[in-house]
Amino acid sequence: MTVEETMTSRERVMNALAGKPVDRTPVANPTNVATVDLMDMVGAPFPDANRDPVLNARLAETGYTELGFDVIAPYFSIIQESSALGCEMQWEQKDNWPTVRMTNPIWKEPEDINIPDDFLEHPDNQAIIGSIRILKEKYGDEVAIVGKTMGPWTLAYHLFGVEPFLLMTIDSPEKTMDALHRLKEISVLFGRAQIDAGADVITFPDHATGDLVSGEYYHRYLQDIHSEMVERLPAPIILHICGKTLDRMDYIAQTGMAAFHFDSMNDPAEAMEIVDGRISLVGNINNPVTLYSKGPEAVREEVYRALDAGVQLIAPECAIPLRTKLENLLEIPAAINDWTKAHA
Amino acid sequence: MNFVHDGLAAEFEHVTREGERKHISEQFDSGDALMQEIAYSLITGSHFEVARLVEQALGEGYTANDVLDDGLIAGMSIVGVKFRDNIIFVPEVLIAARAMKAGMVHIEPILSASGVEPLGTIIMGTVKGDLHDIGKNLCIMMLRGSGFVVIDLGVDTKPDEFVDAVTEHNAQIVGMSALLTTTMPNMGVTIEALEEAGLREEIKIMLGGAPVTASFAEDMGADGYGDNAIEAVDRAKEFVEANK
Repeated sequence: MTVEETMTSRERVMNALAGKPVDRTPVANPTNVATVDLMDMVGAPFPDANRDPVLNARLAETGYTELGFDVIAPYFSIIQESSALGCEMQWEQKDNWPTVRMTNPIWKEPEDINIPDDFLEHPDNQAIIGSIRILKEKYGDEVAIVGKTMGPWTLAYHLFGVEPFLLMTIDSPEKTMDALHRLKEISVLFGRAQIDAGADVITFPDHATGDLVSGEYYHRYLQDIHSEMVERLPAPIILHICGKTLDRMDYIAQTGMAAFHFDSMNDPAEAMEIVDGRISLVGNINNPVTLYSKGPEAVREEVYRALDAGVQLIAPECAIPLRTKLENLLEIPAAINDWTKAHA
Repeated sequence: MNFVHDGLAAEFEHVTREGERKHISEQFDSGDALMQEIAYSLITGSHFEVARLVEQALGEGYTANDVLDDGLIAGMSIVGVKFRDNIIFVPEVLIAARAMKAGMVHIEPILSASGVEPLGTIIMGTVKGDLHDIGKNLCIMMLRGSGFVVIDLGVDTKPDEFVDAVTEHNAQIVGMSALLTTTMPNMGVTIEALEEAGLREEIKIMLGGAPVTASFAEDMGADGYGDNAIEAVDRAKEFVEANK
């Protein structure tokens, strides 16, 4: 027996992001749930589904139609803007993610940052913008369409290279801030274009992860910029940062973002305590061990753990491995349904 | 414990585990001011200073091995502890690594020419589909500094490239790195390829990378896991020791 639903998926997601009541906890995929099985099912494989709006929309909608998630998120990877800006790309094949060759960065200094006038017209940006238009037209207000625009920190990794950029943060904090302020304009441009095309929500990945930099770094370099994004992007924003982030969640909760998408390395109960209702949490089912390697029972256990902690939107912690089994993904909404019945 | 450099003594206070305090302090037992200055300059990432001091030490008659062990590696041990304990993060490790490289420029040619027998040969690479290499490069630097020959396969390394390299270099150890949860499964795929090639019994395999855990490494069928570059060296030395 399924729980009686009184809301559309879109209403459920928008309410959860706004901290309002929901009929049941929504299932989200703010980064991506495309898998090889889903690509085969609808004939929309990588890498083409990252570059063609029609294929992109066809693969993206499977998150809703096949998996029963409450969102459709058409930007599968983290590389569209960087490709449009001229980064050297590795587009890979069906079972591997497209990626930027960060060992050959295109810029060295903040002054090198140049956003072409036709940036939004680049086919790799249009693939996402066009896909959002298709999805919005097809689904209207039925399901939440989640766009995605990379934050300046992530863009800096791609455009300057990870190592040169991290060295810049120590060698010249002024130069680093200058670069981040210039790069944030890319985030705003692409984010607004997706909202104009029909995105209800924007995911904002900005990988100042605990595996690379400290919580103080987040505070020093990014907190104000993230607050500025809330003013400049007229849609609820889900910030995404992988890895250990408990040491920066208090700062994140002060930004005014609608939600934070967090990693399984962080205890959900502890995370909820830190954010203390100032921001919704999205997460945090483990990908490589639980969703990829284990079975539905282990998935269910993690879903219950997040629900018991009060996490507002249940989701895989990050983009899932492309060979993840569908039965494990289907177990997420099933577990939410059972938990909701048991707690009615 | 014999610290003659106040800055280094303060840095050493970050080392709190008893066994580690003993092990690391022994590296500074000689109380040599120049070696301690090199270690401190490395910890604080002063690469020009490290290069200058290493050159000075070699000019004054210190052996390349002394400078490597008592200056550079001793300093890097404290960096490793601070990184593991979240006192510092990758940017601070990178400036220390840059300083170590600046010192190694003067030391490596001497060590290469000395003909010392290496501890073993290690194949290192970031797995297929993953282009991240900071962690792997730090491990390689520390492994080479510790006496291993390391063959660096770079990033986006396909399983058959690992297989071919093990055979070609007659390696005893394979180290794999991944930064993405999406590419971590390729570690298991690579281990399967090594099994299919009949090489699994000949080698030890260690895994690492930010999202990789000891239990994931075990699930994938690896022999060991390193949380950081210092642990990668420890695992490699354990493998060599067990093989004697």
